[in-house]
Amino acid sequence: MPKCNINGKEIEVKEGTRLIDAFKEAGEDIAHYCYHPGLSVAGCCRLCMVEIEGNPRLQIACNTTVQDGMSVSNESPAVKDAVKWGLDFHLINHPLDCPICDQAGECELQIQYMKFGKYDSEMAEPKVKKHKVVDLGPKIVLDTERCILCSRCVRFTDEVSKTHELGIFNRGDRSEIGTHENKPLDNNYAINTVDICPVGALTSKDFRFRQRVWYLKNSETICNGCSTGCSVKTYYNEEGLFRVKPVHNEDVNGYWMCDFGRDIYKYANKEVRIQNPELNSEDITIDQAITEFESRLKSIDKSKTAVVVTGQQTVEEYESFLGYLKENSINQVYHWINNPDSFEDFDGLLIRGDKNPNTKGLLEVMDKNGFNKPWSELTSKLESNEIEHIIVVAPENVEMYPDMDEKVQMFSKAKQLTWLGTVKNDNINDLKIPMKSFVEKSGTFVNYEGRRQNFKKVTVIVKNAICLTDMVSYLKNKTLEIDNSPEHYKRKMNYFTQVRGGL
Amino acid sequence: MSIVKKPSKTSNWYLPGILSGMGFTFKTMIKNIFNRDKMPTLNYPEQKYNYSSRFKGNHVLTVKKDGSLRCTACMLCATACPADCIKITASEHEDPTVEKYPINYEIDILRCVFCGYCEEACPVDAVRMGPEWQTPGLCGSDFNYDIQHLAYRPSLKGGALSRVDEEERHKSGI
Repeated sequence: MPKCNINGKEIEVKEGTRLIDAFKEAGEDIAHYCYHPGLSVAGCCRLCMVEIEGNPRLQIACNTTVQDGMSVSNESPAVKDAVKWGLDFHLINHPLDCPICDQAGECELQIQYMKFGKYDSEMAEPKVKKHKVVDLGPKIVLDTERCILCSRCVRFTDEVSKTHELGIFNRGDRSEIGTHENKPLDNNYAINTVDICPVGALTSKDFRFRQRVWYLKNSETICNGCSTGCSVKTYYNEEGLFRVKPVHNEDVNGYWMCDFGRDIYKYANKEVRIQNPELNSEDITIDQAITEFESRLKSIDKSKTAVVVTGQQTVEEYESFLGYLKENSINQVYHWINNPDSFEDFDGLLIRGDKNPNTKGLLEVMDKNGFNKPWSELTSKLESNEIEHIIVVAPENVEMYPDMDEKVQMFSKAKQLTWLGTVKNDNINDLKIPMKSFVEKSGTFVNYEGRRQNFKKVTVIVKNAICLTDMVSYLKNKTLEIDNSPEHYKRKMNYFTQVRGGL
Repeated sequence: MSIVKKPSKTSNWYLPGILSGMGFTFKTMIKNIFNRDKMPTLNYPEQKYNYSSRFKGNHVLTVKKDGSLRCTACMLCATACPADCIKITASEHEDPTVEKYPINYEIDILRCVFCGYCEEACPVDAVRMGPEWQTPGLCGSDFNYDIQHLAYRPSLKGGALSRVDEEERHKSGI
């Protein structure tokens, strides 16, 4: 294990660590654009300059490995000068349209300029004009003027997604990022290039111009798009969720996430959610809804009550709800699998065929309670009208359940249908109780390999929603405590001006 | 907490106080009748006060030469606004050099405190505080100004032209 001295701090790092990582480990700031820990080293931005003792010239930290006894600094005047003028080169042709640029607020150029630059440009020549608003594919828009040619996105398509769509064309100050003819940037991981773009050159069509980033708060959670269970960050304000970005988690997803996972916020937002409990399309209060549910449980024979569950809720909810069912000797619990044919698929990187985040957790709890009835039994019982009351714990991510309408029709054969769901469904005309989506509750997901991942509540979107745990505690204790008051509902003052001081 | 004042002996002597007060009133009244020019109040609405040209009144959205909005929907005004009265919805413009423009720009003038921060924050001189200040309305929605009112109201005679010329800006390479 080599030891080195970074800005006067002695640290010990792993063999083969790059200097730039050692700087991050030591907690020192270092300017850089082209280096990304998930990609190979390009060394083209020339911004991570450091002074190594005994070396007459400045070196780049990203392409130098730490050696024992190295003494490195990036605080000397020579380094600061090099970074400052390196930045000037990057900004020669960079347009000053930060107000229109979607990256403003989280732009590396802005950050580095405020840290190291702060000079007046000495260029007399006008800026080179390049193509604006280039349509790269169905998900991404490119602004070549804003690009600083760090080549992160090119390396991403070469090394991670291995689709080789992007390349750098032309030479000198006319170089541009672009795609080859008839080969748009359209793979399942394409929006990662937007995340790693240090400037506003690549923007996602989904998020473009919808919000300025400084209006959004963020919070980490687990993606509920498939059984991989990537660590993600959701960006939201009081209007709802706006985007999802990956968070580095070496054990699960590395630095990336898939494009399907970025759509999960759409099923949690207000527009698509059940707002109030409904009984035969009439709004009722949550107390009335649960009382109605309880009376159905009590009045209908246990052998004529069936429960359908999907792997989209948390382990804690399953434990309390399935435990309650067992106590009340309701034994007909069925596991709804949306895509039995492609359930075991895996694309080699992150995307899995099992589109439920918690199938493993559900199966564990079902085994514990001894529920193991096959799906075919439910179908035949519904056919022969043996079931009077069916309780469906509906999936949140309805896009991944293409058989939804068909299944709803099947469930409707029962006399009474209790729908515990998050997303609106107009085909159901019975008791509907709004459930909390994954961003509104804390809990545990067990992913495909059995890894238990805890996540915390992000925000509240539907005030009347409850989770299964709330409902069971109401059924048992007759008290309902819904925690649906996040910070910004309590706050009477202007939320934006409150947080603006930190910008 | 309430403060209770006990009646004292001197409080019975109210007449001198009333008389001196009335005396002052009559003195001022007679002064105003015979010297109308120096009267501090105005006979509004027949008479109106002439504010200086720097007066910060109701907002104006400036327009380009072709009459379209100057605003680029950068939302810096909404960010700077301490009263949180500006609501902007941005959208993609057909012209790639314009790129972004507001499809909705609303100012809730009842919330506005006329501080002028929006004018100062605007990087393209798109929002200004105009000289207007008499703006009555019949209901709450009359005070929620949209693009039509802010940029093209009749008193602006087709829109206020911004002094910033985008062609010059483009030529100089900004």
